[in-house]
Amino acid sequence: MRRIALAAAAALMLTACGSGGGSAGQELSKEPVTLRFTWWGADERHKRTQQVIDLFQKKHPNITVKGEFKDWNGYWESLATTVAANDAPDVIQMDELYLASYAERGALLDLGTATKHLKTADFDKSALDTGIVKGKQYAIPVGLSTYAIVANTDLLDQFKIKLPDDGTWSWDDFKKAGAEVSKAGGGKVTGVQSFGFDAGSLNIWARQNGAALFDVAGKVAVPENVLASYWTFIKDLAKSGVSPAPSVTIERAGGPLDQSGTATNASVFATWWNTQLTSLSAASGSKLKLLRLPGESQASSPAAYYKPSMFWSISSRSKHPAEAAVFVDFLANSEEAANILLTDRGVPANTKIRAAITPKLGETDKAAVEFLDTIKVGTAPRVTPNGASNLEAIIKRHTEEVLFDRLTPEQAAKSFIKELQTEIDGA
Amino acid sequence: MSALGELQRMRKGSRGTLGVAREPKKDNKAAFAFLLPWFAGLLFITAGPIAASFVLGFTDYNLIQPPVFNGLDNWMRMLGDARLHKALGVTLVYVLVSVPLQLACALALALLLDKGLRGLAFYRSAFYLPSLLGSSVAIAVLWRQIFGADGLFNQVLSMAGIEGKGWISDPDSALSTLIVLNVWTFGAPMVIFLAGLRQIPAMYYEAAATDGAGKWTQFRRITIPLLSPIVFFNLVLQVIHAFQSFTQAFVVSGGSGGPSDSTLFYTLYLYQRGFGNFDMGYASALAWLLLVIIAAFTAINFWAAKFWVVYDD
Repeated sequence: MRRIALAAAAALMLTACGSGGGSAGQELSKEPVTLRFTWWGADERHKRTQQVIDLFQKKHPNITVKGEFKDWNGYWESLATTVAANDAPDVIQMDELYLASYAERGALLDLGTATKHLKTADFDKSALDTGIVKGKQYAIPVGLSTYAIVANTDLLDQFKIKLPDDGTWSWDDFKKAGAEVSKAGGGKVTGVQSFGFDAGSLNIWARQNGAALFDVAGKVAVPENVLASYWTFIKDLAKSGVSPAPSVTIERAGGPLDQSGTATNASVFATWWNTQLTSLSAASGSKLKLLRLPGESQASSPAAYYKPSMFWSISSRSKHPAEAAVFVDFLANSEEAANILLTDRGVPANTKIRAAITPKLGETDKAAVEFLDTIKVGTAPRVTPNGASNLEAIIKRHTEEVLFDRLTPEQAAKSFIKELQTEIDGA
Repeated sequence: MSALGELQRMRKGSRGTLGVAREPKKDNKAAFAFLLPWFAGLLFITAGPIAASFVLGFTDYNLIQPPVFNGLDNWMRMLGDARLHKALGVTLVYVLVSVPLQLACALALALLLDKGLRGLAFYRSAFYLPSLLGSSVAIAVLWRQIFGADGLFNQVLSMAGIEGKGWISDPDSALSTLIVLNVWTFGAPMVIFLAGLRQIPAMYYEAAATDGAGKWTQFRRITIPLLSPIVFFNLVLQVIHAFQSFTQAFVVSGGSGGPSDSTLFYTLYLYQRGFGNFDMGYASALAWLLLVIIAAFTAINFWAAKFWVVYDD
């Protein structure tokens, strides 16, 4: 309590005297400079990112980069706290969910002022555009990723179950395949790791039904019956034993990637972003395969889309915007950095880098790039509107209400739309 | 136990005879010198934010841009905020169930330890330890493991042939695990009870025994009335403490208050609004509502004390 109040007051005082932020166009300092750099991710990412930081520091002996990394859960509260206390890290790994919320409130540096140190020539314009909010480039896309099913083929072999044909499968086929596994798994292994905890699955579900989560104006646009069918399906998976008991599902969904059903070889099929394949393979030690989403061949147009997996952005209150821009330039354009990071943050959106690293990729990374290259996609959904950053928490809570029979899928749909729209209107 | 004495005097309304005021002047200075660090902290660290949060309660403030005055909007909004109502319900259940249970455990253990066991010092420390750790992150993480689907608790249950579940990830049992956690931290009130028990003169019991009163009658007629000011003291303190619980729910639910808001403590909701939803104006108003609620509960406690607390000096 006391700490919350303290942070609030500190923020009040600081906003009064220090807003605006510097320009990133200035000369680099010769004096020692310390940059703080924050990201979320799993162990694998932390190791690789630290290597890139070491490399950068070797090339720029007067710049020290301090990494601050967290799990996705907790990352955003912590970022909000540091931003409010005027203590934001200089370089911030940003997500599509939060980009508009931070940019529209002036927390991010307009990277258009940083072109002296930060080049974007090797990016596709369409990719760069995903980092534009209200006409200004607030973020540089790091990588692209796409929603997929990850299947554990080792377990499928062990149970002597054939891998489903992902070119034609429907959600019913998906459920059937999962049921077969659950039966063979004898309680230890379930067919499906339940979804319903992220924006990816809901976006796909809406798009396959010819809808969208948000309209262009940033209003909630997904119809009630589509939402209800989403939760009906999730509930059905749990009730029929295709996915684990609700309490197990909730426990895993709340933990880090390493504790997921896929990583612990407790579920055969699960929804993930394609670029998480390498981390998941490392954690599970099993052979994992990316499958196209069920229902795509039944949908009138592809629901799958390229999502900027994350962005680089710079705090508008950074004391060293020029050095921060140099660091982001290194992250975005350096082949040496890319050789270390490979596809951990998505298939590089920088086309030159993508071409350069492809031959060097390991088996799982290559599989992730190939998957992204061959999949059919539609146009990307609108950036999550300002105020809707808590979208995933709201989805998760409603999934819990449905799984535990506290709300019917129809009630959940109604409540979801109302709550989300209220958040957007309040921002 | 000077705080206790203080409390008793306040109850009696004899403010003019507060301990310190009667002492010679030079002792006064020493007292203030010792209090100085605390006063400085209050003034420079706590008072400012408290005042600021009061002002912020009447603004729309998103943490990044300057606050905008919006009158009573935040307060009107509370009326229709379903999640706030849910959080109030969860917190009330937590306070009303866990505090009496905790005090009962504390009193029971204190009575037992007061019998003069061998190795009393050891037991006293052992039972006191949890209250030092209880609101720490480490214990909350431990709790998550113990009551997880593959946790220690389920392993013990399975030995007895009972099939467990993910206690923390089931909305029907998640709050109970947090109540158990709070009850487990009975050490602090227990130590105070122990001190109180030591103050009851042994001659009362001897006299009662001579008159043929059994153990139960002695407990009811001597221990309880003479201990009642201390029970009251512990009750007031623990109720205030429980209303402000945050860490346990935050860590155990991963900050969500879930599953399905079953562990959404008031302070956790406040935190979510302030830092998760960039809604610091509303969060500040919520903080002041909590203050009002705690003050009201404390006032009720003081009023009710008239009917059951016995002061014998």
